[in-house]
Amino acid sequence: MTDTETPAPRPGLIARTFTMLWPHSLRAQVMGALALALLLAQGIGAALLYRAQHEYREEQVTHALAIKLVMASHDDFAPPPGPPPEDRAPDDQGAGKIGGKDGAKPTGPDRPQQDGERRFRHFHHGPPPEDVSRGPRTESVDHFALQAFDRPRPEMARRLSPMLTEQDVNPAGLIVCERPLAKDPMIQQRMERRAALMRRHINLPHPPPMEASRLLIAAVPRPGGGWLVSRVVVSPDDPWLPFTLIAQTLFIYLVLVGTMAVILRRIIRPLAALTAQVEQFAETRVATNQVAPQGPHDIRRLIAAQNAMEDRIIALINEKDVMLGAIGHDLKTPLAALRVRIECVEDDNERLRMAQTIEEITRSLDDILSLARVGRPSEPLETNELSALVASVVEDYEDMGEPVELDDMPRIVLPLRAVWVRRALQNLISNAVRYGTVAHVSLTREDDWAVVRIADQGPGIPESQIARMFEPFTRGEPSRNTHTGGAGLGLTLARAIADQHGGTLSLANQIGGDGGIVGLVAELRLPLGA
Amino acid sequence: MHNEDKTVNQTAMTQDSAPQRILLVDDEPGLREPLASYLERQGFTVSQAASAAEARAIMRESVPDLVLLDIMMPGEDGLSLCRHLTEARAIPTIFLTAKSEATDRIVGLEIGADDYVVKPFEPRELVARIRSVLRRSARGAVDPTQNEDFLFDAWRLDPLKRRLIDPEGAIVAISSVEFRLLMAFLEHPRQVLDRDRLLDMVQGREAHLFDRAVDNQVSRLRRKIEVDSRNPQVIQTVWGGGYMLAADVRRVPSGPA
Repeated sequence: MTDTETPAPRPGLIARTFTMLWPHSLRAQVMGALALALLLAQGIGAALLYRAQHEYREEQVTHALAIKLVMASHDDFAPPPGPPPEDRAPDDQGAGKIGGKDGAKPTGPDRPQQDGERRFRHFHHGPPPEDVSRGPRTESVDHFALQAFDRPRPEMARRLSPMLTEQDVNPAGLIVCERPLAKDPMIQQRMERRAALMRRHINLPHPPPMEASRLLIAAVPRPGGGWLVSRVVVSPDDPWLPFTLIAQTLFIYLVLVGTMAVILRRIIRPLAALTAQVEQFAETRVATNQVAPQGPHDIRRLIAAQNAMEDRIIALINEKDVMLGAIGHDLKTPLAALRVRIECVEDDNERLRMAQTIEEITRSLDDILSLARVGRPSEPLETNELSALVASVVEDYEDMGEPVELDDMPRIVLPLRAVWVRRALQNLISNAVRYGTVAHVSLTREDDWAVVRIADQGPGIPESQIARMFEPFTRGEPSRNTHTGGAGLGLTLARAIADQHGGTLSLANQIGGDGGIVGLVAELRLPLGA
Repeated sequence: MHNEDKTVNQTAMTQDSAPQRILLVDDEPGLREPLASYLERQGFTVSQAASAAEARAIMRESVPDLVLLDIMMPGEDGLSLCRHLTEARAIPTIFLTAKSEATDRIVGLEIGADDYVVKPFEPRELVARIRSVLRRSARGAVDPTQNEDFLFDAWRLDPLKRRLIDPEGAIVAISSVEFRLLMAFLEHPRQVLDRDRLLDMVQGREAHLFDRAVDNQVSRLRRKIEVDSRNPQVIQTVWGGGYMLAADVRRVPSGPA
């Protein structure tokens, strides 16, 4: 059992956490959605930007390489300015210094410039394009092979070869690779030269090597043997790019949040005020301080519509009250006339019965009028002593000669509307006397409740019928009330009154020792601190 | 004629040699006319008015001893006329009202009516109320007492609203008979009142029933105001047949409920 039960709370917990984190208010939801959308948009934008930038750089580098190679090869082949120096053996010292094991490596660094002049053939040609001129010069070497630290870039070779073909340079055997700047012999040589120059003229330390920069190298075999090698220095990607993007995103978000906060404020404030108004109206049915239409057009209309509806509801309620008041007045005056006229009836019994009938009509009329009024909070709660109230109702019945029994009652003081509670008690006791021959009334204090029980000794009510008894115009079985009147509103009204006081009214059959029903108990519970 | 009618007649006659004059103001002839003849049978002289204006015209001719006034009337309503009656002329007034809501009753009493009866009322009860108001007015005690509460033993009785308030400030419900009984005791504190005297002072509706039940009513009242109703301290039984309020009574201006 425990095994099957333990995992159960886990999804509950997750769901709870999710529910807890999920933004509930309009403001939080809008802000959240905004942040999410902005983040997504910025992400896509950043990715696109990064790709475009990358593409552009690759293109630039490829072009630079192409131009260098093309110009070098044109220089090389068109006017041969003397025997190429390739036949010169590569410098062993240099190879030992850098390349290490393989002395045949043509890329070995050289000793200072004066030697290099003979061994390397540098191509000088008119003013090269701006971006190319800065880079290292194209050189011609005997051999070229990829080093361990080189990273081949075949895709750039593919891009480069058509450009070369276009310029009549045979791209067969073209190699393009990427090499760490610091590992390239030519660059090293340049750096050293520059450092020496600086040491000589100004007393400055070594400039720091451009560790992060990359060198792109394109090598193409020369038709006559050997290789043409051109180099392009590629500066590293901007390391600040992501931070720039984040800062940009944050900035946009702040601006958006600022504007949205203003807009939301204009929406949410009238909405909150309207909510409070509706809540209050639902509770009190009094439109005391209606919110003036404000905020955006939609909200303005909503508020105006709500106000109009409240006014309409109030008008309807007032209309109903006026109508009921008129009915009450119109019926009660002739009833009063009738009540006066029957005083002329000589037969005491006859007169008594007439008076009782008039009283019944009056009671029903009062029930109808009261039921229509019971929800109105017009009367304030007043501190009352309940046992005296119960006693005074019971005493009225005693005076009428009805069989009502009253237990000793504790004094219970609680806030209530005496007129209404009296009416509820009257209805309950009337029912007990009418259907159950005797009413036994008791009052007790149970926890935070004052509990009035009215028990009778009648036939009770079938369990299935109990709920129905609270519906308006419902009465018990016809056989049981042939001699009595009443509109069937007594219990409906009594329950409405209990509700009005925050209490409850329930009916239950009383089961005797033999299992049969010995009576019905009506239980009216009123909260002590209503 | 019933027994009670005779008593009523006697009382009405003994207090004043001439029959007392009642002005009945109600716009509904169906009620006004039978009620007027009923009251005449009870020994009163009754003049009728169908509106506030008519009532004013009649009162210019002769001032009645008491006005029975319907609240809801076309034109000037009963409340307005009542304000005029009590302020300008100090004529005792009883309201006839179709409304039974407590607030309506209290409004009527607060603007100066001496009592109210809710339609449809029991004619005998109305007569009892009329006589009670006339008695009080004959003693000249109508106005000064209206706004004064009775204080006894930390209890407070507001005679206007018929509201009894216990030492804790809670309202204690009392019936009209209990109210009148308590008023009798409060107006005669520390005096022994025998059953006949009490009956005479409390006479209200269904006197024949009350007749047999003075003791019963006293015990009901005790149940509400005594700490231990089996050992009463406030309303004491005097050997030889009678009761006495064993408390000092003070009159104070009506405070907040």
